[in-house]
Amino acid sequence: MLDTQSAPALRDLTFGEAIREAIAEEMRRDKTIVLMGEDVAEAGTTFKVLTGLVDEFGKDRIIDTPISEAGFTGIGVGAAMTGMRPIVDIMFGDFLTLIMDQLVNQAAKIHYMSGGKWKVPLVVRATMGATRRSAAQHSQSLHAWPSHIPGLKVVVPSTPYDAKGLMKSAIRDDNPVVFFEDKISYTKVKGQVPSEEYTIPLGVGDVKREGRDITFIGTSSMVQVALGAATMLEEVGISAEVVDPRTTWPLDEKTLIESVKKTSRCIVMDEGYGRYGVGAEFAALVAEGAFYNLDAPVTRLCAMHVPIPFSPSLEDVTVPTERQAFDLAMKLCGR
Amino acid sequence: MAVSVVMPALEMAQETGKLVSWKKKEGEKVAKGEMLLEVETDKAVVEIEAQAAGILGGVTAKIGDVVPVGQTIAWLLQPDEKPPATTAPTQTGRTLDNRPAAAATAAATAAPEAASSGPIRVSPKARRLAKELGVDVSRLRGSGPDGEIVAEDIQAAAKAGSATAPGPSAPADARTAPPVSTGLGESLTSIGRLMAERTTQSWTSVPHFFVTRDVDGSALVALREKLGPSIEKSRGVKLTYTDLLTAIVARVLKQHPRMNASWAGKGIKANPEVRMGLAMAVNDGVVVAVINKADAGDLADIAVQRRDLTERARTGKLTPADISGATFTISNLGMYHVDQFTAIIVPPQAGILAVGAMTDRVVPMPGALIPIGVRPMLTLTLSGDHRVLDGARGAAFLHDVVEGIQSAEKHFG
Repeated sequence: MLDTQSAPALRDLTFGEAIREAIAEEMRRDKTIVLMGEDVAEAGTTFKVLTGLVDEFGKDRIIDTPISEAGFTGIGVGAAMTGMRPIVDIMFGDFLTLIMDQLVNQAAKIHYMSGGKWKVPLVVRATMGATRRSAAQHSQSLHAWPSHIPGLKVVVPSTPYDAKGLMKSAIRDDNPVVFFEDKISYTKVKGQVPSEEYTIPLGVGDVKREGRDITFIGTSSMVQVALGAATMLEEVGISAEVVDPRTTWPLDEKTLIESVKKTSRCIVMDEGYGRYGVGAEFAALVAEGAFYNLDAPVTRLCAMHVPIPFSPSLEDVTVPTERQAFDLAMKLCGR
Repeated sequence: MAVSVVMPALEMAQETGKLVSWKKKEGEKVAKGEMLLEVETDKAVVEIEAQAAGILGGVTAKIGDVVPVGQTIAWLLQPDEKPPATTAPTQTGRTLDNRPAAAATAAATAAPEAASSGPIRVSPKARRLAKELGVDVSRLRGSGPDGEIVAEDIQAAAKAGSATAPGPSAPADARTAPPVSTGLGESLTSIGRLMAERTTQSWTSVPHFFVTRDVDGSALVALREKLGPSIEKSRGVKLTYTDLLTAIVARVLKQHPRMNASWAGKGIKANPEVRMGLAMAVNDGVVVAVINKADAGDLADIAVQRRDLTERARTGKLTPADISGATFTISNLGMYHVDQFTAIIVPPQAGILAVGAMTDRVVPMPGALIPIGVRPMLTLTLSGDHRVLDGARGAAFLHDVVEGIQSAEKHFG
């Protein structure tokens, strides 16, 4: 456990540590918060994100479940309706497929269908992201699925700071929120996080880097890739802006459109599939909102439209890279 | 209906062409397919056929004029027809989406060389800005992807006041656009200008290194004496040392793919075929002509090709195909009694071999009864692109060329 009392004002935390800290702080603050899922207690999840929480909060609040995603998500929905604030852990986001009825037909609908009498303050944590050699059933990025449903909020953070602030807001929100965590970022992405209390509202995007010539709109894992490409572009005199919407719904349309209006060019980067995906939504949004300011077609850079291969050399080519983003930006800038 | 004659674009990057001659006089009748004019491009002089039948009229380009490609320089008219009063604005490789007059349509259909597949592309932002700033997009050339007109082009045009005056890169009216002048009393020919540009570019951007070897050319002398007479008899061409070196170097290049490769901007590109280039002096400079299939080792064929190219280089009749695509070049100044020199690489090739004159020199001959002798020696200097090659690779290649010369009779005799 991190000792938040004696720590300095700003610490370097990993993406995973920031999420654990957010959950721990919220569980201390609010006794109605419980967390359940597979291997969440002693194991602290496969990814060790929740290590130590069971020691502090006990097995009544950090609950190991059988391998039955639909079942324990249903328990989560019921618990949320009856006054708890459950966090449900879906180890691999690929298995959102198993909880779709609970999420889409129950959690997302109950507030509306009960005429506002019931609320479902549920957080579903799920992972996303490839290049972890986990093969086709454990590597997908399915954040487009819940983003499609009215009544669900969806968070796709890219930095430790954002992850912590957004997790707290997700837990405090009275609506069902699906919170996507990039598996690679857990240990690979580090960043400064204040020890003081803070939250980040859902639906407020963030400009991660300012630029003049082209906008990258990136989500989750692709924000780091876009920042890398922007650094490469700087060397050839192209000034790239990187915008992170941070939540796919609610969506900060204004920040996205204003950025593209300023730069006149846009590449949308998302690790989900391009077809009918989150990237398609962003692209349509800026094409509508910034049409008369566009100097080049709005272009998507997303996961290749294939089941994600197990072979590392094949898997790596399915995910957008800094080089691809650089080359595409050069092309759109007429270079 | 009047059909325009335009300055054709014969090469990918050609911007202007120089009118060398009209094959027909103004007022003369021309059949479709007849030779109508000769144009000198950056690389060669090319004869251009008439695209339609008619009477040559409305000629605006004189011999020696340098004209932007796509510009109308004359008309092919029907009897009693007058040249159209205005010509359509034309741009390199593009047609326009907002042609003003019927006459312009004729010009468009008759300009196959300059016509491209689609209309001008203007970005949504550029289109809006053009409207706001009063800029006529049809007068602009785009700097965006695939020549698209982007916001910057409109802003630059607005700044330059091009709403009323076309920019220098895109003359809109064929009648008023002046031929490009070099500012010299006599305009430098395209080949001279191109040589200046290309050698500067190569010398300032390609990291050259040089490797030199002396070699005993006795085997070349013997081989030429052995094969020369029969080739001259059967093919009517004299076999030269350059022909022998072309065959030898082509054979060695096949074993040294790196020497036959190119620097491709971000990495090394292998060239599957060996295409030997020979540096040839022409009136205003030098061109590299390509000997096809030199690596097949047919000396008579090489000699015939070399003689044919030399003759056409001398008369300025080389075509773009004759002088493009070499993967390695030999430059021989032996006939000028030069002992040794270094040559400038012809990008994107990775190497060029500078060959000096074969002269009798005194050389040590260790182990012989009298340990010195007089041998016909020549000096080879390889220039290499250090992004593709290094000294060791250059030395290994040169070593095999030397071996190839010494054992020439074995391979070609």
